[in-house]
Amino acid sequence: MKSIRKIDAIPKLNGSWKFLDDYSYEGMIHGQLLYSTCHHGFIRKVTFPEGYDLSEFTMVYAEDILGENIVPEPVCDQPYMADKEVFHFGQVIMGIAHPNRKLLREFISNTSIEYKELPAITDIKECLENEDNVFGRKLTIDHRTGKKPDPNWVHHHKIYYTPHQEQAYLEPQGMIAIWQPKDKIMFVRANCQCPFFVKEGVEAIMGNKIKEAVIETSEGIGGAFGGKEDFPSLLAGITSLLSYKSGKPVKIVLDRSDDIQITTKRHPARIEINSWTDPETKKIMKINIDYRLDTGAYQTLSPVVLARGVLHAISGYSIPSAFIRGRLFRSNTPSNGAFRGFGAPQGFAAMEAHIDKIAVDLKMNPYEFRKINIFKIGDEFPTTQPIIENNLSDCLERVIEKSDYLNKLKEFKEWNKSHKDKKGIGISIGYHGGGYTGNGEKILNSEVKVVIEKDAIVKIYVSNTDMGQGAHTTLAQMFFEAIDHPLEKCRVQLPNTSKTPNSGPTVASRTIYIIGNLLRKFALKIKDEFGFENLENFVTSNQNKFPHEFRMKFVQDPSVVFDDENYVGVAYKDYSWAACVTEIYFHADTYQIELTKSCSVMDIGKVVNQKIATGQAEGGILQGLAYGLCEFFYKPGYGRMHGFTDYALPTTMDIPEIDVEFIHTDSLIAKGLGEIPMDFPAPSIRNAFYNATGVFIDEYPLVPERILRNLNVNKHC
Amino acid sequence: MNINFTLNKKSVTIDVDPMKRLLDILREDFRLLGTKESCGEGECGACTVLLDGKPVTSCLVNAVHIDGKEVMTSEGIAKEPIGKLLIDCFDETNAVQCGFCFPGFLVTSYHYVKTDGEKNLNKIKKALSGNICRCTGYQKIFESVMLACERKPLMNANER
Repeated sequence: MKSIRKIDAIPKLNGSWKFLDDYSYEGMIHGQLLYSTCHHGFIRKVTFPEGYDLSEFTMVYAEDILGENIVPEPVCDQPYMADKEVFHFGQVIMGIAHPNRKLLREFISNTSIEYKELPAITDIKECLENEDNVFGRKLTIDHRTGKKPDPNWVHHHKIYYTPHQEQAYLEPQGMIAIWQPKDKIMFVRANCQCPFFVKEGVEAIMGNKIKEAVIETSEGIGGAFGGKEDFPSLLAGITSLLSYKSGKPVKIVLDRSDDIQITTKRHPARIEINSWTDPETKKIMKINIDYRLDTGAYQTLSPVVLARGVLHAISGYSIPSAFIRGRLFRSNTPSNGAFRGFGAPQGFAAMEAHIDKIAVDLKMNPYEFRKINIFKIGDEFPTTQPIIENNLSDCLERVIEKSDYLNKLKEFKEWNKSHKDKKGIGISIGYHGGGYTGNGEKILNSEVKVVIEKDAIVKIYVSNTDMGQGAHTTLAQMFFEAIDHPLEKCRVQLPNTSKTPNSGPTVASRTIYIIGNLLRKFALKIKDEFGFENLENFVTSNQNKFPHEFRMKFVQDPSVVFDDENYVGVAYKDYSWAACVTEIYFHADTYQIELTKSCSVMDIGKVVNQKIATGQAEGGILQGLAYGLCEFFYKPGYGRMHGFTDYALPTTMDIPEIDVEFIHTDSLIAKGLGEIPMDFPAPSIRNAFYNATGVFIDEYPLVPERILRNLNVNKHC
Repeated sequence: MNINFTLNKKSVTIDVDPMKRLLDILREDFRLLGTKESCGEGECGACTVLLDGKPVTSCLVNAVHIDGKEVMTSEGIAKEPIGKLLIDCFDETNAVQCGFCFPGFLVTSYHYVKTDGEKNLNKIKKALSGNICRCTGYQKIFESVMLACERKPLMNANER
């Protein structure tokens, strides 16, 4: 629980910590991507502007690719660059480099491409409503009892929509590639979450022309939130090709408008729920969920998002008969990808709203209804994984108590009677399974390395990056706290694929949960093997044994047995749990929702560093609230957003008081924290608005235009 | 054209395209890399510097606008007593996450603490509303600036 200070805070504050664009190398030239502005069509002709000396430029097309023109992903279906046909806006057609960055930008913005246009699907609803667009992986969780619904059970049928969400990391995507012909090594300085994914990406595009790709991250990674999981593989590939062809170091840093328009987003979703509730017992008895994601033009990692999506789609309720179907829908838009929450926020958006709808129809308050249906020991997930703790219920009880929910519910009802503006209060719950789904961690086979030097300095080598979440401070802390070694003698090294073993990608809330707990065990194992009480003293009196290198692999708990085909079994060993209550003030004249207070209670197990954990939670909660309140990326008739001017991020003036509390912190295990704060808060806004006005809105975000439309529809009804 | 200005309290001259962005002048001509480019359209505040003592987004300021003026970047502010105080407060609260927006926050917070300094959450929120942070949810940034306001009166009078 010690809140030690972050090791990188001071250099970040005084500006000396290097981010990707702060690196430069001798002879380095600048690159950019030329991408399609057509949604679907054949490339007819590329015309460069006049007045430029083309011999000064390095250009790479699909035909210059030395290996394969397919980016390595869970499903390998996306090319690095389009060859003859483009399948979406933003598809890369060329990489172009020049010594002068400004001139290169002018050159690219004046380059025109002619297309023979073909029919395209660009609208989210057009994509998700039409079953002809289904492609790729389909998933089913079948936990049906076979019994028909009792005629007395109350049936609810609703369709919910969620929009794209942009990660909006403050540092745009960037890469530097340096071809080293002597050693046949492609060195890449990467702004990424997953150095080993980037390595695969570079080696795939370069084929046998290189011996090896070596990836080292920049010191600073200016936020990622999932957005720097897979796109960097494509970017690094093209940057490497430019460096190979030009023989020079090449740096590509995307402009914000390019970054926002062509990189991955959170998948828009359409979630249809049919539920049957027993009006006597107030128990939901049966549910069918149809979970659809707009994948974009290629599958890439969408099947993995779909997997987590269906596994979290039922929210935290025990329902005897459940059937969940997940499918991917294709559109002519850039592939959607990873974003904190990874399919789970969409499911909670639907189910947590649905719960309030049923509660209100049964004339119950939403807390009482949740209390009856929430997971309890002895229940099971639809995959048959048993529920072994009441921690979700504990989160709910605590947040109800500390937010004074029941009193405020009455108070607001009374206040609303005499005011045109309305006050509302809403609940939502959520959870997130830590680490890769099912057998994923077994397959990843993560390894960590530790070197203890002669001066008792401990160097930790992991491939997990610190993109702001404080991972490197927290990982070091987990190691040295286990053996009581001084903090200043313990350091996590900058990830470099030739020096750090593959401890897996920095995704899936797995860094502290899998790698941190592994390091803690590792520290104790080293202590046990050497039999020391104090490492410093031991190293001083046993100098001949040091420096010493240790390696350790992650071993999955044998209880994690998952049937990947039928989706039965233990999908995640440990879950983090959370519940939230948000209060809103609805301005009736402007149709604006003002968030006044948001109170969250979370169980993330052992809290390693209180301040870092709270900061992570607060940041994630704000991203979650903004998902429900103001962020959208596509608007019919307008298209995709272009930058931070039209993509509305919350500022200091838009946010409520955010209160976070962790419970069950006496646990031995530090569970996943990265994603859960994003999963659960958004539905509480919709539920608070429903509570305030009696108007139920089935779509995010709750911007004034949508509220106005819904209020008008309700009036006419 | 030749432009003369004061950069972090030192007088400098530079021969530059009058339309070159101040952001690029700082990063390319002076290698002051603390000033970051994020949105490039004046929305996010990552490139905030002080121009004649007032916070501006340097991506929207051209060379011609700085002739004869005073520019102060995060590097300059980090050496000032109030800058040091703020850095310590941001560090103490573990407010810094990815850090890309922080030099900008440091500049804007410095301006607030220096020119107003009242420990008032609403005023602080308003002062920082031109800076976007995607990591923190802002809570720890507010906490840090509040802390700096609280500690400012404890500084020597000539340092405030």
